[in-house]
Amino acid sequence: MISRVAEHCFWLARYLERAENAARVLEVNHTLLLDFHVPVEQQWKPVLIISGIHDYEKEPTAENVQEHMTWEEENPFSISSCLFWARENARIIREVISGEMWERINFYHLWAQSPAARESYDTDRHEFYAQVRRINQLVHGIADATMSHGEAWEFFKLGTYLERASQTARIMDVKYHTLLPKVEDVGTPTDNAHWVAILMSCSGYEPFHKKPRPNPIDPAMAVAEFLIFDEQFPRSIRRCVWECEGAAAAAAGNPVGREPTVAETEIGELLTWLDRRTIADIVHDGMHETLTHVVDSVHRIGEAVHASFFAAEVKPPPRAAQPQSLAGMSQSQS
Amino acid sequence: MPLTSSPTTRAAFSINGAEHQTVGPYLFDGYRLHPSAWDELFGRGGDPHDHCCGLVERLGRLHVSEFLGRRTSADLAFVNQGITFSVYADRRGVEKIFPFDLIPRPIPAVEWAKLEAGLVQRIKTLNLFLHDVYHDQRIIKEKVVPEDLALGSKGFRKEMVGFTPPGGVYVHICGTDLIRDAAGNFVVLEDNGRTPSGVSYVLENRAVMKKVFPQLFQDIRVKRVEDYPHRLRDALASVAPAGAGAPPCVVVLSPGQYNSAYFEHSFLARHMGVELVFGPDLFVHDDVVYLKTTRGPQRVDVIYRRLDDDFLDPEAFRPDSLLGVPGLFRAYRAGNVTLANAVGTGVCDDKAVYPYVEDMVRFYLSEEPILKNVKTYICARPDDLAYTLDHLEELVVKAVNESGGYGMLMGPSSTAAQRSEFAAKIRECPRNYIAQPVVTLSTVPTWTDDGPAPRHVDLRPYIITGKSTWVLPGGLTRTALVKGSLVVNSSQGGGSKDTWVLEGR
Repeated sequence: MISRVAEHCFWLARYLERAENAARVLEVNHTLLLDFHVPVEQQWKPVLIISGIHDYEKEPTAENVQEHMTWEEENPFSISSCLFWARENARIIREVISGEMWERINFYHLWAQSPAARESYDTDRHEFYAQVRRINQLVHGIADATMSHGEAWEFFKLGTYLERASQTARIMDVKYHTLLPKVEDVGTPTDNAHWVAILMSCSGYEPFHKKPRPNPIDPAMAVAEFLIFDEQFPRSIRRCVWECEGAAAAAAGNPVGREPTVAETEIGELLTWLDRRTIADIVHDGMHETLTHVVDSVHRIGEAVHASFFAAEVKPPPRAAQPQSLAGMSQSQS
Repeated sequence: MPLTSSPTTRAAFSINGAEHQTVGPYLFDGYRLHPSAWDELFGRGGDPHDHCCGLVERLGRLHVSEFLGRRTSADLAFVNQGITFSVYADRRGVEKIFPFDLIPRPIPAVEWAKLEAGLVQRIKTLNLFLHDVYHDQRIIKEKVVPEDLALGSKGFRKEMVGFTPPGGVYVHICGTDLIRDAAGNFVVLEDNGRTPSGVSYVLENRAVMKKVFPQLFQDIRVKRVEDYPHRLRDALASVAPAGAGAPPCVVVLSPGQYNSAYFEHSFLARHMGVELVFGPDLFVHDDVVYLKTTRGPQRVDVIYRRLDDDFLDPEAFRPDSLLGVPGLFRAYRAGNVTLANAVGTGVCDDKAVYPYVEDMVRFYLSEEPILKNVKTYICARPDDLAYTLDHLEELVVKAVNESGGYGMLMGPSSTAAQRSEFAAKIRECPRNYIAQPVVTLSTVPTWTDDGPAPRHVDLRPYIITGKSTWVLPGGLTRTALVKGSLVVNSSQGGGSKDTWVLEGR
């Protein structure tokens, strides 16, 4: 497919995923604060930090930060911006995604700009964030059921899982920033409650509990292990990176013995890095450091994807000497 | 209880078949004909034309309140599907829908058959003319078309002299604007042989009409328009260059997502099932055009370009164009790619060349033209110039190289100051202007803030030419939304209607 189109597909998925996760982050922070006393200045600033926003000038109150992360047009990470850019990417490649997908994306972009969305935000914020999450879920359902599962689909998947890997890491990191862990708190009921909140904000509560576990273990470690390493849960970091690996390989084409693209190599490295570690290692090295490594790796993978697929120098094919008499025959180009 | 006796409470058939009671006036109750224009639905006596009886009877049973409800859902359908054009005034742009009026414009089968034959004859002639102008120039040597008008046209490309495009076709897609005069005759207002737009609205208007008035389409048989994209793709593939793949690789080339017609470019690519590309997605190597894909270069055989000649190739034309593809024209001249439309077709839809099209039909085909032109005064001719300057008040004066309703003087509604200003411009460069008597365009009932009212319309059929020629049944009916206005262009605030070519009789 056209490199530019592949790029729009990739970013469409990333912006949709980002909007969903912005809603998840805001909600989990809100939930965490309900139960625990945290100094006011520490309450909402972490949300900005994990989104990579370091130049916020206003006072980081609950309302200011949520406003900034939900509505601010100048903030490229706000929900409204993400929906706008998702829609803009979709508009450019309407001929590639399905009509139903486009219509929903367009519909929710218009919704986000409408007074109805604002009213929902003002009157029932929990429902508002839930609605934002549903947008991405709905679009993915439509995409799965109506879009051809060809190359464009692989880029859509690649964008989705890459963004999600980094967002799951960021959501877990909220805890680190908001509730600076104190050694004496680790393993206490309070600490465990934090982890349950994180788990729920990643929609992982039920899958986590359904997993058979032979021995009674530290619940906090179990949750962290689940969100980082689980092989089946579609929001765990490892599962997301593994999905990226498959999507990148499919996007690159599958001839045996093919030289892997830089993107595939980078993804493979992160996967190996995760495979060589256990949750015990991570606790030892530091949770925040691990999550930072994941976020940084995702950034590198993003650049590699760009270099491998979107900005690759396209070399002209050698022009086969073609006798005039054969000119009418079909000519295959790879 | 006689429901029909009360003027305000009446039983109405819902157009969907359900019968229920609603109140208020019926759709056409307040309709008054234009004093002189031909009305597309009603005769002068107020009765519907024969071919409109079914439509008027069904729509006429609709209460205004219900009509307005459907109008709202039609508008919403356009918004939700993003069938919009952008006005990029602020950072995030403003998107507007192209106003759509729900009352269709019918054309009877017999009349359409004649229009169709006339359009086929005309497009055949224009293609012959272009070939002639870029080769032997017989028509100029035999003094049917003046040399300075043809070769002096801004659309004439000397780079095309001696070159024959693949399949010999110049104008693959033509949009010929027709109007109906007060006597009810269709005449040609202008040909658009470069990159005529608007066809996506024909298809989308129809899709929305079918959603909003499904029953109407069950009761009245209307010719389909949905085949257009496939017809276009097949026609383009049929004139792919020698050496093209099987099937040939066809693409739509757009100037980009900020172009006001981007929706249409995307629409066509989607429905034709081909790639939509921007200039930077293509490159030329050894005079062959390639597409940059994630898996390497892919050869392109046919380009439906929605880009003017000037921007096509910075090597051959405007060097500052970032939208085009360097080397594209070389590849074209080498016969390795088909461009639709061909380069240099602007000479055939030049408003100063237009008056000669009827003579061209006689010259090339030895036939009488089926479609007539509007009487035209060519200011390049001294007699016509004098006449034009003396009669500015009665004439429409047009700049020959402008489109979209720009550079025009509407004599009857102009002020003395505007006329003298225009007269000066005409004297300065007579070659740039033509003048025509004002034609009172036909009207169709159109919903306005004051209820149904006659509004002027034109008709742009789309003609596709590959190995053979096909005319899209109907075309885009553009409508002026301002009372009395004869300018229907969307850039001037016009809207559109669904055009119904009726089956049968």
